[in-house]
Amino acid sequence: MKFLPPVLLILLSSTISWAQEKAAPQPLPAVKPATEGKVWGALIFATNDAAQLTGAQEKAPKHLGALDERLGKVFAFKHFEILGQHQQDIFREYESWVVPSRDLFLKVDSNGPAENGGVKLHLQVWREQQVLVKSDAVLRPGSPLFIGGPKWKDGRLIFVLSLERK
Amino acid sequence: MKPPSENHDLIRWLDGEMTAAERAAFDAELKADPALAREAEEMRSLSASLRTHLPAEMKVPHADFFNSQIQMRIAQMDMADARPKPASFLDSLIALFRQPWLATASVAAVAVAGFFLLVPAGGDSAHSLILSSYAPGRGVETSTYHDAAADATVLMLEGLEEVPADRKISGISVHRSETEPEVAATTLFDAAGSPLLVISRDAAGQPLFLRNNPRG
Repeated sequence: MKFLPPVLLILLSSTISWAQEKAAPQPLPAVKPATEGKVWGALIFATNDAAQLTGAQEKAPKHLGALDERLGKVFAFKHFEILGQHQQDIFREYESWVVPSRDLFLKVDSNGPAENGGVKLHLQVWREQQVLVKSDAVLRPGSPLFIGGPKWKDGRLIFVLSLERK
Repeated sequence: MKPPSENHDLIRWLDGEMTAAERAAFDAELKADPALAREAEEMRSLSASLRTHLPAEMKVPHADFFNSQIQMRIAQMDMADARPKPASFLDSLIALFRQPWLATASVAAVAVAGFFLLVPAGGDSAHSLILSSYAPGRGVETSTYHDAAADATVLMLEGLEEVPADRKISGISVHRSETEPEVAATTLFDAAGSPLLVISRDAAGQPLFLRNNPRG
């Protein structure tokens, strides 16, 4: 048979295509672990010298309002620059990591929902391989946690952790 | 069974509570002292095993047994108290303090005083709280307070080792993560869905950043 009829060609092509599709590896169904909420964490560089700023262009989420002004009421600096940020689910049964930077980051374990709203957390602030502080806290939406960290250059590194509203 | 180690440096080393300089010095000590290295390895294995096999929370075993023992002890003390003794001024005073109405009144008075002393002005407890904090580094002090003007809860760490000025501190922007409990690793992704890095733990339980997928 020198030429296959066009219908037979179409049928053959469809069959090959179907077989290839079936043979391709199927992605495993993703099972999302149970969560207690979602947090936003950021590493902030506070300084009085604008020349020291790194040029990072990160923006704070709207739910925190004017974060610079809020930080300025606690820390006596003029400039607050978000170096990195991380939006993270808080897992009910597993540890969660909030890593806005490899230099300073946070491990979070949930201790369950808090009375009057929010979530009870065990927090560990890590600086590379060293834990700087361990803390038990209740985090509530709209009420961020400011952690005053180590000094850097002429300023200070600050970790901000905030629980997002559901 | 050997008693638990009283080497505080070893415990701080296991818990990742040492500075880089302290850890380097302790690592050198481990190399020079085979007995200490052996103990460290045993404790690290035990710690890893406990973390793997024990749930985060456990119920008190045989709670009824403990309750009954406590109740029995209270009953024994009550019986001892009920035995007749010669009365004295001190006994009379003690008897006064044992009056049920006095205990109730005292508890009520303490509760009322506590309410006025401990509840912040305005009675607003809708903000975040720091319940406890512990900084393991030598010379590091923590203080916590709620700043009403900033509407933020502050955990201040003073006495931390400064980050060298020439050290480059850079951030990342993480939009989502995927956790794989079987390999205890979390992959962090950017806004475009590209993986940024993978964080896991090493044998000592300390955070470890991986470049590749933990599943290979």
